[in-house]
Amino acid sequence: MRRSLPATIVVLIGLLLLVNFVVINPLVAGVAQGVLELVVVLAAGAAVLGGATLLVHHGGQLARTGGDRLGSGVLLAGMAAMLLAGFYPGSAGSADPAVRWLVAALLAPLIAALFAMLFVFLLAAMQRGMALRSRQMVVMLLAAAAAVILLLPLGGTLGAWLAGTSAWALAVPVGAVFRGLLIGVAIVAATYAARVLLAVGSADD
Amino acid sequence: MIERVAARPWLWPAALLAVVAAALLLSDAAGSWLQVANPDPARATEVTAALDGLPDDAMVLVGMDPDLGTYPEIRATVRAALSELLERGARIAFVSYTPEGRAAAAAEVERLIAGGADAGRVLDLGFVAGAEAGLVLSVTQFGAAGASFPAAFADAAAGIAAFDMTLVVGGLDIGPRTWVEQVVTRVPDMPVLAVVPTFLQPEVAPYLRTGQLAGLLATVRDGATFASGVGDGEAQPAALPMLAGMLVALGVIGRALYVVRRPDATPGRREPDEQA
Repeated sequence: MRRSLPATIVVLIGLLLLVNFVVINPLVAGVAQGVLELVVVLAAGAAVLGGATLLVHHGGQLARTGGDRLGSGVLLAGMAAMLLAGFYPGSAGSADPAVRWLVAALLAPLIAALFAMLFVFLLAAMQRGMALRSRQMVVMLLAAAAAVILLLPLGGTLGAWLAGTSAWALAVPVGAVFRGLLIGVAIVAATYAARVLLAVGSADD
Repeated sequence: MIERVAARPWLWPAALLAVVAAALLLSDAAGSWLQVANPDPARATEVTAALDGLPDDAMVLVGMDPDLGTYPEIRATVRAALSELLERGARIAFVSYTPEGRAAAAAEVERLIAGGADAGRVLDLGFVAGAEAGLVLSVTQFGAAGASFPAAFADAAAGIAAFDMTLVVGGLDIGPRTWVEQVVTRVPDMPVLAVVPTFLQPEVAPYLRTGQLAGLLATVRDGATFASGVGDGEAQPAALPMLAGMLVALGVIGRALYVVRRPDATPGRREPDEQA
């Protein structure tokens, strides 16, 4: 029953948060609050580190010859513009109107344009996928065709039938598969958590 | 027979168009051959009933964490819901727990203010790091200790528990399931509405049946029903372009399936089981 340090920390913090959930105690609540704040700080630190890594990587790429220097330049210029809007003296940070304008007028339309092309690329990928002549692809395409037909925006009796059938399909066969997957994942997660708590087998590593 | 069909690649799209045209012509819909809204208004009615239960000058939190890829599917519904909340005199505050959600929230706040919404009734609480941990912390606190908020949102400092309702705009990372697990268990009396893309409907629907969600709009049809119900016709997706896009998709799928049947199709790489 030898526990490693990470497993011990996981067990202690897990138990603390569990106790805090079921027992009302100011001391336990305070400690749990502190742990949660630490997690938030760690997550924020990880995000800053990720940004810094991106900066170093593309800064280096820009300094070197070859590679996608234009792409790196655009990325760094975008980062600089956003940082400037969020950090100029008197800025309201991420809620500053300049940041919101950059997001609403530049970032959001660019992302929307990118995802709008997904329709075209998905159809092209479908064509290429079928060239492989795999049975799985045929099944997937037939299911996709059925889903599209059920979602056709038609009125009248036919439209009502399509809407009712698509609601049934979502609630019964798709819902059953989805919930089966979720229950399976939950069982695996619970088993793994129990193994960690009890320091059984490789979960302790 | 198969060879004859295979020799005419245009047959599938033509047959499809003929079937849809026949369905439209034979449809008994009086003047509405195309319709996005769901004929069954149950989901939209539940959401409207929950909104009817809001007190005057309600403070509503919008947990904005959609995926950028699927947000276009629910954008019209979200905008109709936001517009309806403001129309009913609610104060709305946006918060995000994912970077993607933050981008969508910033764009929506900017759109609302540029569209003439009273800036004093819209608050941007920004991004909270830490995902689930941040969400749990937000139950009792927004911002750093002692942080000040505009007078209309002074209570917001006390966290999610101080709000009259939450509208969760969900995605894969943070969605209604996370909110039910982390927030509803701690603040069971606060009604939570959810707007999610269709692929999340099977995951979220059980929470509607258990009463942990007060309302759920999870399909384009239900969103359109809600939007038309609250009189926000502008927010409804147009049926004709949608139908055109779907017919194109069906045509391409049919063409792709034709490739399989074509006798002289290049086989390319085969699956291992087929090689065996």
